[in-house]
Amino acid sequence: MISLYMAHPSWLHRLPAGYKLLGLMLLSILLYPVANLVLMALMFLLTLILYASVGKPAIRQLILLKPLAPLFLLIFLMQSWSVGWLSASLLVLRMLVLILLANLITLTTRMDDMMAAIAPMFAPLKLFNIDPKRIAFAVTLLIRFVPVLMAVIQHLMEAWRARGGKRQVWKLAIPLTIQSIRLSDHVAEALAARGGISTISNPRVSNHESR
Amino acid sequence: MHLDNIIRFDKVNLLRSQTKVLNDLSFSLSEKRVGIIGHNGSGKSSLVRLINGLLQPNSGNILVHGKNPSAGPQKMSADVGFIFQNPDHQIIFPTVEEELSFGLINQGYSKQQAQEKALGILVEHQRSDWAPKAIHSLSDGQKQLVCILAVLVMEPKVLILDEPFSALDLITRYQLLNLLDTLPQQVVMISHELETLENFDRILWLEGGKIFQDGTPAEVLPEYYASARKFRS
Repeated sequence: MISLYMAHPSWLHRLPAGYKLLGLMLLSILLYPVANLVLMALMFLLTLILYASVGKPAIRQLILLKPLAPLFLLIFLMQSWSVGWLSASLLVLRMLVLILLANLITLTTRMDDMMAAIAPMFAPLKLFNIDPKRIAFAVTLLIRFVPVLMAVIQHLMEAWRARGGKRQVWKLAIPLTIQSIRLSDHVAEALAARGGISTISNPRVSNHESR
Repeated sequence: MHLDNIIRFDKVNLLRSQTKVLNDLSFSLSEKRVGIIGHNGSGKSSLVRLINGLLQPNSGNILVHGKNPSAGPQKMSADVGFIFQNPDHQIIFPTVEEELSFGLINQGYSKQQAQEKALGILVEHQRSDWAPKAIHSLSDGQKQLVCILAVLVMEPKVLILDEPFSALDLITRYQLLNLLDTLPQQVVMISHELETLENFDRILWLEGGKIFQDGTPAEVLPEYYASARKFRS
């Protein structure tokens, strides 16, 4: 199955997941007030250098930008029109830097490390008897299934075109929804069949056991 | 009678929106290798899902090696391992080591113990270099092997396989069958490739939610083949 994870080892793999996430958070706050285009462009360059330092497979991942390009162009045009080209360039560069860095973290972090790093953030949920591990697991599953859903879209598009479908790709929304729901059923079954995810002990379940 | 290594169904009924998927099914499986055949929609997949509690019967009793699957799949996962048709539907983690550790952590092992055990089973199956590998870099057959190891590492007593080899080429299929031959577990396998069931101890042929035939492969498989062959003009 396709995954956003890159097994090719690098120095970034060895950095603890918590540091990487914290760094990204700090950077996104720090970048917010930056109004200097040169500085922002430098940050973008640094981001690309960071990708290069991780290795060739990471550089290849930059292809991710291709499907996003029209979106960025649209944002740039809208922003240029409403607040001027300088702010528009700043905004687009800032978004690029953050998206690329976030992508780099998913590429170089194992899922259970990611889970361990974000679980403490959900710790307050324990007050409501919700297991933070469950939420952390849901978040990592989300990351995990983005490329899977992209592949589903790809297959649907191929099936659509193979039978002479035209460019009204939006019509794929319904089959995509149905397929995603079916996929989530399969995944839920597979999860349950291997013991689900460990949770705070549930009194109802332990009653079952003693029966 | 020894109930410890038997799968027993007693008057089991399963309904899905008013239609009977399984109809008053009773049998008891003590054989080491049991194959389940039947046409699409005959209830095979539902039957095996009852064994580990993924589905619950509307009436009747089920006992699997002394345990009642009404406890739910989470409790049954320690005793019953389940391999699905499509590895892409059951592989959850990006790396082999994480995938193999998942069930163990659910069983209460610490992360470190789980990783050690995961590595252990990889070494045992001559795949010690697989631990850090990204699963998406593996072939379909290798992915299915990961799924099987991820279940075996939990040391279940029963292994259920729901058309596990449908997408695999013949060589890979034979290699995985060789692996299954060596396992001490009781194996219940659904398959449309009759050849893979030839060496099994017992075959259940399901039709319309009932057992249509029940016997050795030599008794049941030729009849099943003949019944399907009629439709080829």
